[in-house]
Amino acid sequence: MTRWRPKALAAGIILSVAVPFLPLVLWSLSERWFFPGLWPQQWGLRAWQHLLDAAGGQIASGLAHSTALAAATAAVSLVVGVPAGRALGLYAFRGKALAVLLVVLPLIVPPLSVAMGLHLWFIRLGLAETFAGVVLVHLTVCLPYTVFVMWGVFANYDPDFEAQARCLGASALAVAWRVTLPLVWPGILVAGLFSFLLSWSQYLSTLIIGGGRVLTLPILLFALMGSGDRPVAAAVSLVFVAPALLVLLVSARHLGRGGLMGVR
Amino acid sequence: MGDLRLEGLALGYGPEAVVRDLTLSVADGEMMSLLGPSGAGKTTILRAVAGFIRPRAGRVLIDGRPVDDLPPERRAVVMVFQKALLFPFLDVAGNIGFGLKMQGLDPGEIRRRVDAIMDLTGLAGLGRRKVHEISGGQQQRAALARALVLQPAVLLLDEPLSSLDANLRQQMREFIQQIQAETRVTTLFVTHDQGEALMMSHRVSLLLGGRLRQTGTPRQLFYRPADPDVARFFGGENFFDGRMENGLLKTAFGDFPAPDTENNGRRPLATIRPEDVRLAPEAGNGSVMGEVTQTRFEGMATRIWIRCDGGLVVALTPESRWTAGQRLAVVFPPDKVRVFPA
Ligand SMILES: Nc1ncnc2c1ncn2[C@@H]1O[C@H](COP(=O)(O)OP(=O)(O)O)[C@@H](O)[C@H]1O
Ligand SMILES: [Mg+2]
Repeated sequence: MTRWRPKALAAGIILSVAVPFLPLVLWSLSERWFFPGLWPQQWGLRAWQHLLDAAGGQIASGLAHSTALAAATAAVSLVVGVPAGRALGLYAFRGKALAVLLVVLPLIVPPLSVAMGLHLWFIRLGLAETFAGVVLVHLTVCLPYTVFVMWGVFANYDPDFEAQARCLGASALAVAWRVTLPLVWPGILVAGLFSFLLSWSQYLSTLIIGGGRVLTLPILLFALMGSGDRPVAAAVSLVFVAPALLVLLVSARHLGRGGLMGVR
Repeated sequence: MGDLRLEGLALGYGPEAVVRDLTLSVADGEMMSLLGPSGAGKTTILRAVAGFIRPRAGRVLIDGRPVDDLPPERRAVVMVFQKALLFPFLDVAGNIGFGLKMQGLDPGEIRRRVDAIMDLTGLAGLGRRKVHEISGGQQQRAALARALVLQPAVLLLDEPLSSLDANLRQQMREFIQQIQAETRVTTLFVTHDQGEALMMSHRVSLLLGGRLRQTGTPRQLFYRPADPDVARFFGGENFFDGRMENGLLKTAFGDFPAPDTENNGRRPLATIRPEDVRLAPEAGNGSVMGEVTQTRFEGMATRIWIRCDGGLVVALTPESRWTAGQRLAVVFPPDKVRVFPA
């Protein structure tokens, strides 16, 4: 393949992702925009100013909350999901079918039911309206994806690489760090980013379990949308989406190079 | 440098043992082939020596010391697998230096030793290449270099040539033999290819169905097989029996001296290799008559099936003049007949 083709493809993808955001950008920069105008009748930075001044503290705290939650969820999801995916991908064991069912179940059951059901338990366990509680409910969505991604990675993984490293003098710990990790790194990156973004975009489950105490960006966003101030809602949306886009671009760069090639 | 001894090993994965009662010694500096058909348990044995499988019974000794309680990384045993298994995230030099790095050597020393072994294995100048940027043969050599650079007490090679094409395989056989002779590393070489085992090793050990059937020099296994199964594995045909009389085995194809065979009342078995069977157009001294039933041209030789009174005889001859239906004389030269110890 010639060199420009992947670039053209990447440009196409970026464009198709970016275009839907154009109206958001326009809205956030408008003072007045009435139907049927193709452009805002009056431009201005009021929405962005509002975000920085009046709502600034709230947005910053929302950002911090969302980031902390998503990072914690992604981390836990990897810590549990990588060994689980390894077990599913490499070994046959008793109760494997049951394990698979348990992993898939949260994806089949509507998230609302999961969150509502968990809420009752979490109240009893003192997890409702806590950070940990919200991380747990986000995990019901993120963990299955992580397990599935890592399952796929380990299904194509040759454990003899590890045996080879062991007899070359690497301890079990050194093997995990210097052989297994580099081999499955692209998969871990994908699974981690996926979990991060899934957690980042949770609204309903955060609302139910967090009970208005854990104020993530989506929660604030919905509140602002409800207020009917479109330019401000658009600006918040962009703040909300920016990290996700950033993550996507960075990962696209990373994965583009080695790709998942290392895993074989 | 070291010698390897396996004592009464029993190995397995599930309830059934895959390898039973295995005792084998490889001397210091020796190249020993472990030969056997696919599924015989060869890889299983290497895994046990390397420390990836715990024996159910028996012990593994290196330099006379039991190593069963040592993890793989502390056994001074390096295994080279069927696949080269070069780490894709390291370049060629990084792969070869992996073990030295694990030992905590300083980078200068690692570079020096890696360069030396790359010279020896004909990989000079390829150190900075990615592993997929070198050929299959070079990958196998890099895998070998990665093991040799550690100067292991015992080197285990698990069919490292089976993924290469015929020409390259022949080159690599000679190459491995030469490297082994130069480094004098104690080597257990696993293969399912009898030719490979015979041409490469000082001694060969034949594994059939999880049991060692015979260990000896290539010539011993080839010409003096311990039992009919061993003979069959090396392409033996023409099994016939007879009765013992005064140290002679009397058969339908003649009388053959059998000094090692006991006269215990049973009818001992004998064999002759197809290429040792002599054919002549006329009856002569010690010959039996037969009729050609089938011929098959195999290139360097033609295989001929002959029906005799004593049974069907298979002969391999460089002559291509025989055709089905022809009558001819078959001679079993006594020095070529192997009478199995009963
Ligand atoms: N990981 C394993 N689990 C269960 N059985 C195995 C495993 N590896 C090999 N076996 C079985 O053990 C026997 C010997 O296998 P192996 O040692 O790989 O033979 P070889 O290397 O001589 O071809 C085979 O019957 C194979 O099916
Ligand atoms: Mg094998």
